[in-house]
Amino acid sequence: LGSYFCYDNPAALQTQIQRDMQVNTTKFMLLYAWYSWPNVVLCFFGGFLIDRVFGIRWGTIIFSCFVCIGQVVFALGGIFNAFWLMEFGRFIFGTGGESLAVAQNTYAVSWFKGKELNLVFGLQLSMARIGSTVNMNLMGWLYSKVEASLGSAGHTTLGVTLMIGGVTCILSLICALALAYLDQRAERILHKEQGKTGEVIKLTDVKDFSLPLWLIFIICVSYYVVVFPFIGLGKVFFMEKFKFSSQAASAINSVVYVISAPLSPVFGLLVDKTGKNIIWVLCAVATTFVSHVMLAFTLWNPWIAMCLMGVSYSLLACALWPMVAYVVPEHQLGTAYGFMQSIQNLGLAIVSIIAGVILDTRGYLFLEVFFIACVSASLVSLLSVVLLYLVNRARGGNLNYSAKQREEMKLSHTE
Amino acid sequence: MCGCGEPSWGWGLCAPSPILLLSLLLSAAPFGLLGEETRQVSLEAVPGWPGPPQNLLHIRAVGANSTLHYVWSSLGLPAVLLVATNTPHSFLSVNWSRLLSPEPDEGLMVLPKDSIQFSSALVFTRLFEFDSTNVSDVTAKLPGKPYPPYSLAEFSWNNITDSLDPATLSATFRGRPIHDLTKAFVNGSLSFRVQAFSTSGRPIQPPRLLHTADTCQLEVVLTGASPRGNCSLFGLEVATLSQGPDCPSVQEQRSIDDEYAPAVFQLDQLLWGSLPSGFVQWRPVAFSQKQRGRESALPCQVSPLHPTLAYSLPQSPIVQAYFGSQTNFCAFNLTFGASTGPGYWDQYYLSWSMLLGMGSPPVDALSPLVLGIMAVALGAPGLMLLGGGLILLLHHKQYSEYQPIN
Repeated sequence: LGSYFCYDNPAALQTQIQRDMQVNTTKFMLLYAWYSWPNVVLCFFGGFLIDRVFGIRWGTIIFSCFVCIGQVVFALGGIFNAFWLMEFGRFIFGTGGESLAVAQNTYAVSWFKGKELNLVFGLQLSMARIGSTVNMNLMGWLYSKVEASLGSAGHTTLGVTLMIGGVTCILSLICALALAYLDQRAERILHKEQGKTGEVIKLTDVKDFSLPLWLIFIICVSYYVVVFPFIGLGKVFFMEKFKFSSQAASAINSVVYVISAPLSPVFGLLVDKTGKNIIWVLCAVATTFVSHVMLAFTLWNPWIAMCLMGVSYSLLACALWPMVAYVVPEHQLGTAYGFMQSIQNLGLAIVSIIAGVILDTRGYLFLEVFFIACVSASLVSLLSVVLLYLVNRARGGNLNYSAKQREEMKLSHTE
Repeated sequence: MCGCGEPSWGWGLCAPSPILLLSLLLSAAPFGLLGEETRQVSLEAVPGWPGPPQNLLHIRAVGANSTLHYVWSSLGLPAVLLVATNTPHSFLSVNWSRLLSPEPDEGLMVLPKDSIQFSSALVFTRLFEFDSTNVSDVTAKLPGKPYPPYSLAEFSWNNITDSLDPATLSATFRGRPIHDLTKAFVNGSLSFRVQAFSTSGRPIQPPRLLHTADTCQLEVVLTGASPRGNCSLFGLEVATLSQGPDCPSVQEQRSIDDEYAPAVFQLDQLLWGSLPSGFVQWRPVAFSQKQRGRESALPCQVSPLHPTLAYSLPQSPIVQAYFGSQTNFCAFNLTFGASTGPGYWDQYYLSWSMLLGMGSPPVDALSPLVLGIMAVALGAPGLMLLGGGLILLLHHKQYSEYQPIN
């Protein structure tokens, strides 16, 4: 889970990085973009690599290594005052990061299949978010300690801080090794099969995707891009607009993660029980819209807006992803999820860059307005899905069935 | 505007934000008594002294029934007089021999005297330099250990006629110490660029303060001077006339709009008396590079105004000539930069702008682009809902029409 800790390292140290490396926000956001680029492609092949080439144990270990090396290179970039090296480090880090998550999920499936899988996924997400939160609040403190012990601020301090942050990556590598050992032992003792991602990805399936699926993709991309790049740039926003201290700004910037950690399992359960995914997604998107409007156009305490965003983000994560399963035939499911993750990463990469440019030239208000426009796009596509659903209700679409209806449907299928 | 000292932790404290929003949305700045949409603005160096040219710059903004006069000068010290009159025919009268004498009283007047509605002055007295190393306490009164300040009364200034440009309505006063003992200003200078405007608009470079024909802009640039330490911060002492026993105060207005100065959500404003009077406006930001981007933005702190005895300040002849020697002064300090972040030391460059005017200060409004995008962003889902509702209605109708057939 160390990779989640390091994913938001740049956000936690935004001011320090920009000052010590003397780069503007546009270049700073490239650090996030470089993380996303490899994942645009890798989301398709990560599952394949794990299933066919490395096997899950070696896959996890290899991807952990990538994460470690990436973080070390990132830190070295700081020590040698070479921004391109930092970008390169983020690229390697990204190569490992997302695939590591896939490997993790595969482990979870292979160990908990048929038991409390939803809960495990929820907890996994919680752990990830806790990692991010701790990072947000710890890195600034760590930086000031290193600064005190080295006697001056500068790119060396930055590098050393990041290097210490990289220790968590080493920890996760050790965990990967331990897991591999345990898994092997379990296989020997229990004659258990090695886990498979079960993802079969065929790029040719893409042309068969239905309109609702494409709309869901749009919702996904335009929603995620207003949450993650915003958090990446949020700290300075809270410090300048709301006059927060550095610590308070870090704290509020991480509140989305803090909230989604405990709420993800709860909402997962809620959505499972009630069904009606579309309504939940609609609520989540509308709430995010409201919270961004609040951040942009009022001086109200931003805790309100950020908490709303945290709640809606966890709700969306729980309700949107399962929705795909209802509009895609099962044999295309792997492709659909891979594609969704891939374009999400593409969107994040592009929007990170755009957001940096907007901030440098037009300021935070305009950036917020841009995000509001993105949420609005997401809302529009969502409403289109609702319309399609209403129009095609006679044809038996099943996006918005309640849990009970779904249960009945399953029964009728199995009969 | 929002008079709470607490940075908005509780939202009860900073209630007026919807009002703020409303006032921002009402884009047309309410023009005050003196404010007029169109003015004939002219800028000239005042001629007439037979000896070596003296720096006296007169900006005259003539409206239908009022005239605004700005008189800039580097005589003695960089200073500006602001005079508003209620007639289009008022004029500046200069008695050069008296103005240049040791007793300059009444050497400079705006006539007719009974048309004068408002008058005040700003004097730039000293350039400070602080050593900001080892300053850990942010709340400390001084930004660092002060070096001996440069008194602007001991500067020599170039001839403004060289830099005067009637097309852009601008002129630059450039000065360096007369006795530059430390050789700090060998390649350096401190300049005051003054610009007037015939229409309202915004400059291209941040902080992009909104200007009108009623205002003029001052850009202070320190460039090339060698700092006396590795971590030198600079500051400027500004003095102004106080109308009564109390000094005017600097208001810090918080806004939601940072489109014109990215990541700066504050506008500082000095008002002389109740509106409409004169005002000075600036964003608390200075820049350490010619290309004024966010990466070169420095914070700018302002001290509260404090009363100062006239004799403790170097005198500006034009202020004394207009107001006489029996005047009360208030002074305040501006400090640019902090011990961390970008600073003057990056490129030996520092620039800061302010807007000076009479009447009601210009009020920022959300740009049409922002309003347009918001309209689309709010309108599109709204239309979808409406359209969806309609389709649903029609669908139901069809359904009920077909039902009997089935």
